[in-house]
Formats: sequence, structure tokens, C-alpha cells
Amino acid sequence: MSNSDLSERLDVEGGTFRQWLNPLNKPLRHKIGLLVLLLLAVLPVALTSSEALIFASAFFFAMFAMSWDLVSGYTGQISFGHTVFFTVGGYSAALLNMEMGLSPLMTIPAGVLVAALAGLVIGVPTLRLRGPYLSLVTLIAPLILFGVFRYFPIFGGESGLSGEIDNLFGLGFNDVIPVYYLAFGLFVVVLTVLLAVTRSDAGRIFTAIRESEDAVNSAGLNPAKFKIFAFVLSAAIGGLAGAAFVHTPSASPTPNTLLALAINIEIIIAVFIGGAGTIVGAAAGGLFFGLTRSFLEGSELVIPVANVAIAEVYLILLSVIALVIIYALPGGLLRGSIVGGRRVLNRNSDEDVATDGGEMVNPVAQILNNYRDFLGGDDDER
Amino acid sequence: MSADQDAPPEWSDELGPNDGILVMSELTKQFGGITAVDELSFAVQEEEILGFIGPNGAGKSTTFNCISGIYPPTDGNIWYKGENVTDLPPYKMVKRGMARTFQSFRPLEDRTVLQNIALPLVPDKLFSLAGLRGETIKKAEGVCELVGLDDRMDMTPDELPHAGMLRLELGRALATNPDLLLLDEPFAGLSDPEVESISDLLKQLRSEAGVTLVVVDHNMRGLFPLIDRAVVIRFGELLAEGTPEEIRSDPMVKEAYLGGGN
Ligand SMILES: Nc1ncnc2c1ncn2[C@@H]1O[C@H](COP(=O)(O)OP(=O)(O)OP(=O)(O)O)[C@@H](O)[C@H]1O
Ligand SMILES: [Mg+2]
Repeated sequence: MSNSDLSERLDVEGGTFRQWLNPLNKPLRHKIGLLVLLLLAVLPVALTSSEALIFASAFFFAMFAMSWDLVSGYTGQISFGHTVFFTVGGYSAALLNMEMGLSPLMTIPAGVLVAALAGLVIGVPTLRLRGPYLSLVTLIAPLILFGVFRYFPIFGGESGLSGEIDNLFGLGFNDVIPVYYLAFGLFVVVLTVLLAVTRSDAGRIFTAIRESEDAVNSAGLNPAKFKIFAFVLSAAIGGLAGAAFVHTPSASPTPNTLLALAINIEIIIAVFIGGAGTIVGAAAGGLFFGLTRSFLEGSELVIPVANVAIAEVYLILLSVIALVIIYALPGGLLRGSIVGGRRVLNRNSDEDVATDGGEMVNPVAQILNNYRDFLGGDDDER
Repeated sequence: MSADQDAPPEWSDELGPNDGILVMSELTKQFGGITAVDELSFAVQEEEILGFIGPNGAGKSTTFNCISGIYPPTDGNIWYKGENVTDLPPYKMVKRGMARTFQSFRPLEDRTVLQNIALPLVPDKLFSLAGLRGETIKKAEGVCELVGLDDRMDMTPDELPHAGMLRLELGRALATNPDLLLLDEPFAGLSDPEVESISDLLKQLRSEAGVTLVVVDHNMRGLFPLIDRAVVIRFGELLAEGTPEEIRSDPMVKEAYLGGGN
């Protein structure tokens, strides 16, 4: 039988050339994005030193959020334990530096490697199968790591690693501006890498897996390969952020900074606020969440009747914001504002929209659907 | 794959690897206690259009799921193009030239019809930009045209009417460039003229592109003029096999349909 294409075998004419992603159709969004980056690049002139450090932490948090979004927002495989990778990356780097005296320029790549390895160990067995196995395993993984930390003294238990840890490029507490730029630079690198990956064919396949794994499989594409790739890349980026983070004055290698269960929840909330399945949304949601959290934590305000300090209930406040957004703009703030902006500008909305586009796709609903199908047992013909 | 230890010996009357382009022998699929497919054996010949029929719950979709690799069979063998493919996952079957449609649609809601159909044209590689090339899109547009979706390429699946969804499923299967196509109820919910237009397309696929087709459907009026031969199953077991005329007059088949399935 002939191997030539069906369309050739049948002598069908393709239509006119059309663009697949037509990114050039959306210049306004891209311009706004670049403008925001530019603003962030010059922002330190207007910041006090403590504010600059808050921003640096927010950049790291946004990297965590982006790494989570790559696997959970895109492929729909929800990880509840991404802090494992921040921790593995951060602790590996810190231990190599403190115990063996390796320079941060060596320990950070090592942290990335160990985190990627951890990603393989968790990802390969769980993602080869169809179903929410990854979610189950990642629920437990941070608890196991907590246990390990408690029983092996080298990890310093609850209080984490103590001792002198070198800062990247020798930056100290007084070098807030360079620390800001270090965090910002890494943030831009991670953003660029993830945008490139998600704009390539792999990104289309990731979201196709979220929509229907059967469809991907029946299209001759191996879903496990793409899920594992997304997960390991995500782990490596989480490890990078964790490893670099502990080498800045903004963070230290402790379970509270890197591993805490609350961080997993915060990341998920941040991505849902910005827009799951859009790297830019995750970046924006992460920055917004990180900054708001610091602001609320530092706030002296007290909620009147209940008489609790806002600083103590910031997570509840942000969760409420996230819930409102999930109901009102299920695609997240990014998609919502693109769609809204288009309406305001009265632009034609039936254009071909990329993954990051303004269409009201609803990854949250799709993911819930997948889980329901799976737990309901029968997902097939009925 | 050379010596196939699962193949029956020469002298046996059991079906073997070379009895057709697609052969299943004693195929069995159990779900917990239920046996959905029960020692089913039949062969599909190259370039034929085979009807695969049976009452509701007879096990037709399950058979398709086993052949296409969605479920591993509980027992039995499947050979495709002479090779044992019993435990291959779906994407490997697709690479060997077998495609299928689903009875319940599997659209990608987040993208246009054109991009749905372009998915199989993207290479199975982690680092690739081929999907962004005009050539890929042109091919996808060709498939859209083939299945009659060329005027609805920019819609999202949820904007398509039922008949359009069927065409989308068909288009996505065709975009894999198959030699054999398993169609699960391609006529369901279609009007007579729509059934006829899909039938014409399927005949064209066979006559011009040499595609072999296995078609499941409950619409006998639409199916019988299309097919060369039919295999009838009930309770997962083979009930009858023959030309449409033979099947139509088979008392067992009549009884199976009148008496209902499960
Ligand atoms: N995933 C599954 N888990 C459990 N039982 C299943 C599953 N898939 C199918 N079955 C059962 O297997 C039997 C055969 O179902 P199948 O869908 O193959 O029938 P069918 O011939 O395609 O019917 P229809 O014409 O209604 O589509 C049914 O009893 C069904 O309930
Ligand atoms: Mg069926």
C-alpha cells in the first residue's frame, strides 16, 4: 500500500496558506507584555531596599508558579507537591555549598539536575498510566520529604539548614538592587524558555492531552512522553528557582520557605488567578500573589468586627479572590482581560487564538471533568 | 517480528497472521465480571468495507478499543499487516497505519476545527515546530475539504452541529494517513442525505486511496449499501458472517435484533 499522504492519494487540493498561530495578529497584547517587562526592569529606581527584596521573592514565587503551570495548567495533570522540587533543588545546592564548599555557579546546576531526577522518579511511573496517579503521588511526596528531614540530622529538621551559605556573586543584604536584577533576570529566562516550549508543537500537544488524552493517542502521539517531558522540565525549572533562591539573601533553605504545604496551595491559587494553561498568566498571577502576600503580611490593618490582623488571614483573602475569579472569569485574569480588551477595542473576536489567547477556554473545568470521568470509572461509549 | 509463537500451526483452521490485513483470534475482553468480548475471531481483508454489527452492548466498541490499543485484551491475539499487535498502545497502531473514530466524540475544545485536524500532522517529537509551518496547515486544510468541513475550519468544536462533529472525528482519523480505518457509528444521528454523503466519501477513500474500512453502525439502511461483507456479534460472540444479503436473511441475526441485546 502506498505510503504517500492520503490527500495526495486522493488528489485533494489544500486551501490557501493560513497561519497556525498567527502571533502577529495580536500585537497589542505583546506590546503590553513587553512594556510591563520594561517597567519591571527600571522599577528598582523607585523602590526602597525592603521593597526590592519583596519583589525579588515575588519573582521567585512567579517562577514556581510558571513551573507548576507547565505541567498542571497545560497537560491537566495536577501536581499537589511541586514544593518537593523547589526543596530538592534548594537543599541540594545549599548542602553542596555548605558542606563541600562548591560555588553557587556549580551548586545551582547541580540542584537543577537533582530536581529533574526527582521529576523522573515521580513522573515516569505515574504519568505512563492514564488517570490522576500523579496527583495522588504528589500529595504524599512532600510528606515523605518532611519525614526524611525529621529523621536525618543533616537536613536540620523543621528549622532547616543553618550555617553560612554563599550568596550568588557574593551579593549580600545591602546589595538589594543586584539581587532584584538577579531574580528578575532568572524570571525572564524562565519565562522565555517556557514561552518557547509552549509555543512549539509540544505546547499544542500538552493542551491537547488536557482536552483528551485519547485524541492525542489516536493521533499517533505518545501522551506519556509529552506528559513526562512537561513534568521533568517543570521539576528542573522548580529546582532552578529553588536553588537560586537559597543563594540569595531573600531566602534560606528551610522547610517553611520551600516545602510547606501552604506553598503548594498558594501556587495553585496564584496560577488560577492569572490563568491556568497560559505561561504569561502564571507569571502575572505569581507576581500578583507574591506581592499581595507580602503587602498583606506586612499590613498592620485589623479586620474590624472579627478583630483579626489581615497579616494572619492573607491566604484566606487571596483564596476568596481566586474563587471569585474562577467563577467570574474561569480562564483567569489574563484571558479575561484579553477578551475584555478586545471587546472594548471592538475588535473581531473570531480570530485564530493561540494557547495564550483570549478565548474563554476553561482549563479548570476540563481538568475537573477528566478527574470526574476517571473516578466515575466508565469514560467510554455511552 | 518473525516466528510468531502465538500464531496457530499451519494445519489448524484457526485464523492466523496472514488471513487478512487485520485478524483477531479468540479475542476476549473482560471488565471485572462482565465478558464484553468473548473469544471473537474474524479477519478483515485488504481494501474491503466490512460492516461490524450487533445489538447495543454487544461489544463492538470494546472490540475496537482492543484492536486500537485503548484496552489491553484479556486474552487472544490481534495481527495487523501480518504482525502481532495485541498489546501495542494506540499511538503505535496509528504509526502502523490504523486509525479510528470514537462513538463518543473526543474533540479538543480549546482549538479550532482546523487545529483539531492538524494534531495528527504534528510529529511525535518533543522539539518540533512543524505544526507552525504552512505546509502542515495546508495539509490539514486538504483534510477539512475532504470531509466537508472547509467552510467551518475556524469554528471551535462546540459550534459544530452533530454531523459536523462526526466529520471532525473522521477528519482527525484521516489526517493520520491510515491504511485501515475503524469507524464507530459514523452515521449516528445523521439524516439520510448526510449518511449518503459520508458513504460516498468512504467509498472514495477505498477506491482512490485503497483504505480498508471497518464500520460499526445501527443504521442498516445506510450501512448495507456501503459494505461488502458484515460480521455480526452478540454478547461479545460471533453470531454470523457474510454478504449483506446473507446477513439480512439470516434467522439468527433477525432474532438477535428482534430479541434485543442484553
Ligand atoms: N470501560 C468499561 N468498563 C466496564 N464495562 C464496560 C466498559 N466498556 C464497555 N463495557 C461493557 O461491555 C459491554 C459491551 O459494551 P460496548 O460499548 O462494547 O458495546 P457496543 O456493542 O459498542 O454497544 P453500542 O451499540 O451501544 O455502542 C457492555 O455491557 C458495557 O457495559
Ligand atoms: Mg459502541
